[in-house]
Amino acid sequence: MNRRLTLLIVSLFINNPVVRAEDKPSESIEITYVQRRFSPEMINVSAGVPLTVKVVNGSKERIEFESFKLNREKVVEPGQTLVVRLPALRPGSYDFFDDFHADVPEGAIVAR
Amino acid sequence: MKHFLFSILPLSLLSLVALGPLKCSAQVDPWEFEVYPYATTPRGMAEFETDNAVVTSGHSEGGEGTAMGTFASQKMWFNAYEFTYGLTDRIEAAVYLAMAQPNGGQLQWAGEKFRFRGRLFDEDVLPVNVGWYAELEWHKTPQFDDAATELEFRPILEKDIGPISIMLNPKFEKVLSGVGRGKSFEFGYVAGVQYRWTRRLSPGLEFYGGSGLIDQPDRISDQQHYVFPTIWGELPGGLEYNFGVGYGLTRGSDRVIVKFNLELERFVGALFKSSEGRGWFF
Repeated sequence: MNRRLTLLIVSLFINNPVVRAEDKPSESIEITYVQRRFSPEMINVSAGVPLTVKVVNGSKERIEFESFKLNREKVVEPGQTLVVRLPALRPGSYDFFDDFHADVPEGAIVAR
Repeated sequence: MKHFLFSILPLSLLSLVALGPLKCSAQVDPWEFEVYPYATTPRGMAEFETDNAVVTSGHSEGGEGTAMGTFASQKMWFNAYEFTYGLTDRIEAAVYLAMAQPNGGQLQWAGEKFRFRGRLFDEDVLPVNVGWYAELEWHKTPQFDDAATELEFRPILEKDIGPISIMLNPKFEKVLSGVGRGKSFEFGYVAGVQYRWTRRLSPGLEFYGGSGLIDQPDRISDQQHYVFPTIWGELPGGLEYNFGVGYGLTRGSDRVIVKFNLELERFVGALFKSSEGRGWFF
């Protein structure tokens, strides 16, 4: 009985369908990086709902998708699509930028 | 014969105190006043860091406060050079060179460290973000430590609540060679609260300390506990800083320590492919 319970707990933890964030209802947005710009640069999302951000690097250069306020930092290779998961946001504006290229205009995710 | 014993006994006791083992108090690492977050160095990125700490008001005897060897902590400058590389999206490796300048002395080699650090799953998959840390340390004995080699493990826990990050790194250390070998694990902690205000300047509060051996804690007055109000952020050129003044909270702690860390990250090339989105370890 104890062994079965242990196996169940371990399998839940490894596959963890219960706790995985992607299984929770969330809003999805897509940000594409091309020609030294993020598109769109400003995105409105609903406050209070977990967010999935798909970052598409459509350029031929490596970027670092970073947000100081959201505490995220991801290297995205040319042609790569990366998923960044965010918790439910409070109303406000959250920056994002390419930390490898200072000349790329900053973008913002605005939660309302 | 009796007179001989009376004359030799104090001398013997004195020599035991002078040459005997110093107490095990390695739970506070003065070469690295840094709280580890859940996030690791991104894959293919190299991070160069220098961690500096000066004991502006410490102890005048070795083996007291942050001084774990024969040199006293008073006016000691701890200086570490760290190179970290992001192996995968979830694991990084780092090497450290530890230097120190005792009061009135020269800057000298004090030891080395090698470590791996990782994060489990992706952000916010678990209710609390969980990471891990494993380190092997070498010390110059007896000047800077009484233990020659140590192994350290830490779970890393982080919870972000809006602009506030709460980080906790409990430390478990085991002496592999030198004084304390054969004893149990020592317990220490590193913890911090950071408020993300602006990229250039943000405030934080950091905590460092230790209680001694797990099965035989030191008296509270002999333990070390520090609180560091800090400021941190990014300087022009992508240089990141963390500056803080630490105050000792017990008699066993140094009274005031000033720390200043600088780091620079650059992409140098990835050795491994991007990690699986649904993976949890590599």
